[in-house]
Amino acid sequence: MTSHVSNPSASRQTEQSNPAKVNRPNIVAVGTIVWLSSELMFFAALFAMYFTTRAVQGPEIWLESTGLLNIPFAAANTTVLVLSSVTCQFGVFAAERFQAKRSGTLFQIQKWGMREWFALTFLMGAFFVGGQIYEYATLVSESLTLSSNAYGSVFYITTGFHGMHVTGGLIAFLIVMLRVFRAKKFGHSQATTAIVVSYYWHFVDIVWIALFSAIYLIK
Amino acid sequence: MKTGWILFTGLAVFYALVTVIYWLVGGEAVGITALGLSGGLAALIGFYLWFTNKQLSNVLPEDNIKAEISDSAGELGFYSPHSWWPLPLAFTMTMAGVGLLVGWWLTLIAVGALLISILGFVLEYEKPVRSSH
Repeated sequence: MTSHVSNPSASRQTEQSNPAKVNRPNIVAVGTIVWLSSELMFFAALFAMYFTTRAVQGPEIWLESTGLLNIPFAAANTTVLVLSSVTCQFGVFAAERFQAKRSGTLFQIQKWGMREWFALTFLMGAFFVGGQIYEYATLVSESLTLSSNAYGSVFYITTGFHGMHVTGGLIAFLIVMLRVFRAKKFGHSQATTAIVVSYYWHFVDIVWIALFSAIYLIK
Repeated sequence: MKTGWILFTGLAVFYALVTVIYWLVGGEAVGITALGLSGGLAALIGFYLWFTNKQLSNVLPEDNIKAEISDSAGELGFYSPHSWWPLPLAFTMTMAGVGLLVGWWLTLIAVGALLISILGFVLEYEKPVRSSH
C-alpha cells in the first residue's frame, strides 16, 4: 500500500541528499484510520446496547424473535459483502499502479483498472443493501418491527446503522470514480482517495462480520 | 511515529488485560464491550502506525535522536488553500438533524442539499481545467 507522500519534482532534487524529505506518512491515510477507530467506538455502543438489552430482557424474547431470522439468506448476503472487500482490494492494487481504467476488454479481468473493480464492488455492496431491505420487508410482514418488542428495536438499530454505513460507502465509491473521471491524470492524490475509501469499506465489512456473528450465529 | 505505535499498542494490551479482569470479577455487558473495543481502537491505530512506519524505508526525523530541525523540512502533503464548501456542508447536515425534530420533509430536502454539498466539497480540486496545485 502506498503510505507515503512523494512529490516527483522534489524527489529529483533531493533524492541523493536526503530521502527523508520526500518520504513521510500519508496524513490522509493515518487520519482516516484514527477516524475509523472512533467509528469502532460508535459500533461499540451499539454492541453494548444489544448485549445489555439481551441480558435485561431475558432469553425468552430472543428465542421467540430470532426464530424469524432467515439465516441462510443472511449468510449469502454476508458472503457477497465479504467478497466485495476482495474486489475492492483489487481496485486498490490497480490504484497503486496508477491504473484508472482497464487496458483490455471488459472480459479480461487481469487487465482491469480501478474503475472496473470499484464498479463491481459497488454492485456487490448495492446487492447487500438490497438484500437487507428485502430481509427487513420480510421481517416486518412477520410483524417484527422497530417498535414491536425490545429485540425488534436492537435488531433494526444495529443492522440499520450498519446498513447506513454501507450506503455511505457506496456513495464514497461513486465519488471516487467521479473524481478519477474528472481528474486529467491519475496520481498520488487519486490513489490516496481510493485507498482510504477501501479502508472504510474493509472496516464496515469487519463490523458486519462481528454483527452477523452476534445477531445471527450466537443470538 | 515509533513512539506513537508503541504507545497505542501498549494501550491496546492494557485494555485487553483490563477487559479480562473486568470479565472475571463479574462485570456486565456494557463494560466488557466498551473496554474490549477500546482495546480495538488502540490496536487499530497502533497497528496502522507500526505498519506505516515499517513501510517507510527511512527513519523519520522525529525518531532519530541525532536529527536536525531542518531534516523534517519539505512537503507535508496537500492542504486546501481555502474553501467555502464546509459551510453549506455543516448547514445542510444541521438541517438534516433538525428535520428529525421538525418533520421528515425537512430531512428529505436537507439530505438532497447535503449530497450537493458533499459533491461540491470533494470535487473542488478536480475541475476539468486543472489548477496548479
